[in-house]
Amino acid sequence: MRKLQTLVAAAVAATLLAGCGGGTATPAASGEASSSPAGGSGETLVVYTNSNGEGRGEWWTKKAAEAGFKIEIVGAGGADATNKLIAEKNNPIADVAFGLNNMYFSQVKAEDALEPYEPAWAGEVDKELGDGETYWPLVKQAILLGYNSDKVSKDAAPQDWTDLWAKDEFKARYERVTGLGTATAQLVFAGILSRYRDDAGDLGISDEGWKQVEQYFQNGSPAVAKTDLFARIASGEVDMGQMPSSIIAEREKSFGVNVETVIPSVGVPLAVEQIALVKGTEKKEQAQKFIDWFGSAKVQGEFAKQFNSMPVNKSAESEANPEVVAFFADLKQQDIDWEFVQQNMGAWVEKIELEYMT
Amino acid sequence: MTGGTPARSMARSPFVLIVGVVLTWFIAAFLVWPNVNVLIATFFPDGNFSGRAAEKLLSSQRAMKALGNSFLLAVALSVTVNLVGIFIVLVTHYFRIRGSRILFLGYASTFIYGGIVLAAGYKFIYGDKGIVTSLLVKVFPAMDPGWFSGFFAVLVVMTFATTTNHMLFVANALKGIDYQTVEAAKNLGASTWTILRRIVLPMLKPTLFAVTILSFLTGLGALSAPQVLGGRDFQTITPMILTFTNSPTSRDLAALLAVILGVATILMLAVMSRLEKGGTYFSVSKVSSALQKQDVTNPAANIAVHAVAYLLFAVYTLPVVLIVLYSFADGAAIQTGHLTPGSLTLDNYVRVLTQQSGLRPFVVSVVYSALAAVIAVGGLLFVARLLQKYKNWVANVFEYLLHIPWILPSALLALGLIISYDHPNPLVGGAVLTGTTVILLIAFVTVKIPFTLRMLKASFASVNSSLEEAAAIMGAKTLYVFRRILLPLVLPAAAAIAALNFNSLLDDYDTAIFLAHPLVQPLGLVIKANTDGAEGVQGVANTFVYTVLLMIITGVTMYLVYGRTRRQGSTKKGPGGIPPAAPVAGTAHAGVPTSGEDTAQPAVTVR
Repeated sequence: MRKLQTLVAAAVAATLLAGCGGGTATPAASGEASSSPAGGSGETLVVYTNSNGEGRGEWWTKKAAEAGFKIEIVGAGGADATNKLIAEKNNPIADVAFGLNNMYFSQVKAEDALEPYEPAWAGEVDKELGDGETYWPLVKQAILLGYNSDKVSKDAAPQDWTDLWAKDEFKARYERVTGLGTATAQLVFAGILSRYRDDAGDLGISDEGWKQVEQYFQNGSPAVAKTDLFARIASGEVDMGQMPSSIIAEREKSFGVNVETVIPSVGVPLAVEQIALVKGTEKKEQAQKFIDWFGSAKVQGEFAKQFNSMPVNKSAESEANPEVVAFFADLKQQDIDWEFVQQNMGAWVEKIELEYMT
Repeated sequence: MTGGTPARSMARSPFVLIVGVVLTWFIAAFLVWPNVNVLIATFFPDGNFSGRAAEKLLSSQRAMKALGNSFLLAVALSVTVNLVGIFIVLVTHYFRIRGSRILFLGYASTFIYGGIVLAAGYKFIYGDKGIVTSLLVKVFPAMDPGWFSGFFAVLVVMTFATTTNHMLFVANALKGIDYQTVEAAKNLGASTWTILRRIVLPMLKPTLFAVTILSFLTGLGALSAPQVLGGRDFQTITPMILTFTNSPTSRDLAALLAVILGVATILMLAVMSRLEKGGTYFSVSKVSSALQKQDVTNPAANIAVHAVAYLLFAVYTLPVVLIVLYSFADGAAIQTGHLTPGSLTLDNYVRVLTQQSGLRPFVVSVVYSALAAVIAVGGLLFVARLLQKYKNWVANVFEYLLHIPWILPSALLALGLIISYDHPNPLVGGAVLTGTTVILLIAFVTVKIPFTLRMLKASFASVNSSLEEAAAIMGAKTLYVFRRILLPLVLPAAAAIAALNFNSLLDDYDTAIFLAHPLVQPLGLVIKANTDGAEGVQGVANTFVYTVLLMIITGVTMYLVYGRTRRQGSTKKGPGGIPPAAPVAGTAHAGVPTSGEDTAQPAVTVR
């Protein structure tokens, strides 16, 4: 009995010590310990992203290793990654962040957590899509209203978001969100609310604008947790809903449905994924080299080919899927004042969650 | 019992002093300071108090309704979980029922899984395209296929999902009942029902009270079942808290809502503690004997009990079977509910297990969870013992302070740790904790403190104090008594608690996302990366695979720790005549109110 107890005590002590021992390792130290001389270039870069799902993170890690960069990707949702970058600004852990859209990066920038850097490929992209100073555009994504084209003909389809609740035939046939936590949902509302800008209105939006939001929630079919919109379209529960352009082709195939998208006369909101250098990184030089490599035409072209995305880098377009390029070439971009949106989005989300979601 | 020891006398024992100093430091450094920091940053954004949050919430119909729903669910669950829980405990441990071991395995399935997948599992069966619904619609064509939704559905699913505590701890307490009291009552002509009502259930009261608190907490923190099954009319407050936690400008609303739920939990705790006081819940006979299984004497009642027991068995096991089955199907089949035998392949498992990261995240999570579980239980063994022995205002203050992690959502706890320890801080010897591997361990230990403390305290309370007194009279020192008398008696309960802690930390996302070391990422982050993707096709399939893999790990843990201690407990010859009662309460899934019954699925998924 006594022996057993000594053993248990020793085990507890050992685990406690192990815990404390682990604590003394700083990221730099353990980074050094575990980094092999991959491609002969020093330390591991810590990269935050919300764009690591569906094999993208692994693809980037592999490609980076081939180019001589050892990276460790830390994946998190857009809001989580943003909050994490802001919370860590006094003692940053990340060296580079990518994948967040302009709305998220402008929040991080406002908290002074980004380091200005002009990448080598800055001349190959449209500066307007980023801030031209700290974060730089990589990939374009259109936020679309899509409908089941097997069921709804082009003539009978809605022409704009507002038709969904204005016309009886679409009521309860479109999926509406049940939370505004996702970037896609926020961009849909940025697109709708921007049209009703009124500095005298509540939170910069006219009463008419808020009425649209109310109607959107009253007439839509609420999204179902863990059931994709395409699954609901396939089963006939709904016929239309919001979707980012990059997922459409793959989901159509998986669920055996055909989807067409609506291009309203005001255009569609574009989400642009960006890359930025984190302020206070101790591996600045290497991080800058990594950004130069990451956004280069060759690498972005390969990524576009692999993941069917639309690169911002003009020289990478030739590598991308021609259908995707053609789609974006015809696409009318909605003119949105991002500064106005970024300043108000938090308050909008709050108001919508509290007052309009039912 | 050494009740009501004055605070001053505590200072005379060196044992108390050492534990007290360590505890004070820990509470100050990791429970009070970080959370005060985050609450100040939240409620005093520019140095001035802002009462905006309360105003906004009060004027929001949706928030008030969701809050009301959460409370309704909490109260209803406190009743229904007890009803079902007591029934399954009696069926498996008290009455002589054919096949009770098999029944036990079925009812025990809730030990190993929960969250969004459990809710999805029930939906496969009773949802509008579910198996049972399809059958029923064939028989009754007029039936509404969407019958299984709203408050009713959520309550049913959560009731069956959260009987874990009953199976572990009420069953344990039942085994400790002195059979002589039951026999005596029988000899006096008491009926089965009278014995149950007047002898058995009263002895279980402390455990039932504690389990009720945890059911209440689970109801308040309900997240995934309402999301999947609640429909338009029954949504709860947790998704809103999670959304607002993630938005810096609305974080005060999240904190206020979380504090409201936290205060309700603490009130519930106070009420239950009061109810529990003053009763004698252990056998006072000199030689107690082990419980023997009882026959249900009335033949009609016997048939009815058997029927209900097997019906519940089906209710418990069907979702597990379907989840395992669906984990082999492709994501589209899972979401549309069309399952054909030919479509079952190993592809999902191959994809998940041959990732670049491989088994590393599993190892990281197992090590972190095991360390946290052992440290929390090991440290709190001393604390719980002292809190149970010394009942005065100092002990009370400590006890309530240790419940702080129940008040705030884990994301806020994590943010508090970051803003408090991202610079050299004298509280931790001038070290910087962010970016180290230890900060996540600290967070894991702290979130498990309230639960561990509650259960350990209850298990110490069940120890017959005369043993301790006898040892002390014979000259044993405090530590010797603790080590040789008390520890062996509470060790089985402590092991079970550690196992539950371990299981619930394995797939943590909310804490890890903010605190994990970039090179030592636990499983929760990998699961999130593989299951998110705007709920795509592979994502949903991966969710099922991870659930099954976690079921295997947690199942093995429960067997190793709980199954083995149970066996040892029944064969070991302990100090004679001690009722092995351990009225301990706990839950595998209750944690911080807002992460509640579900940690695998953060509500806010952003792409």
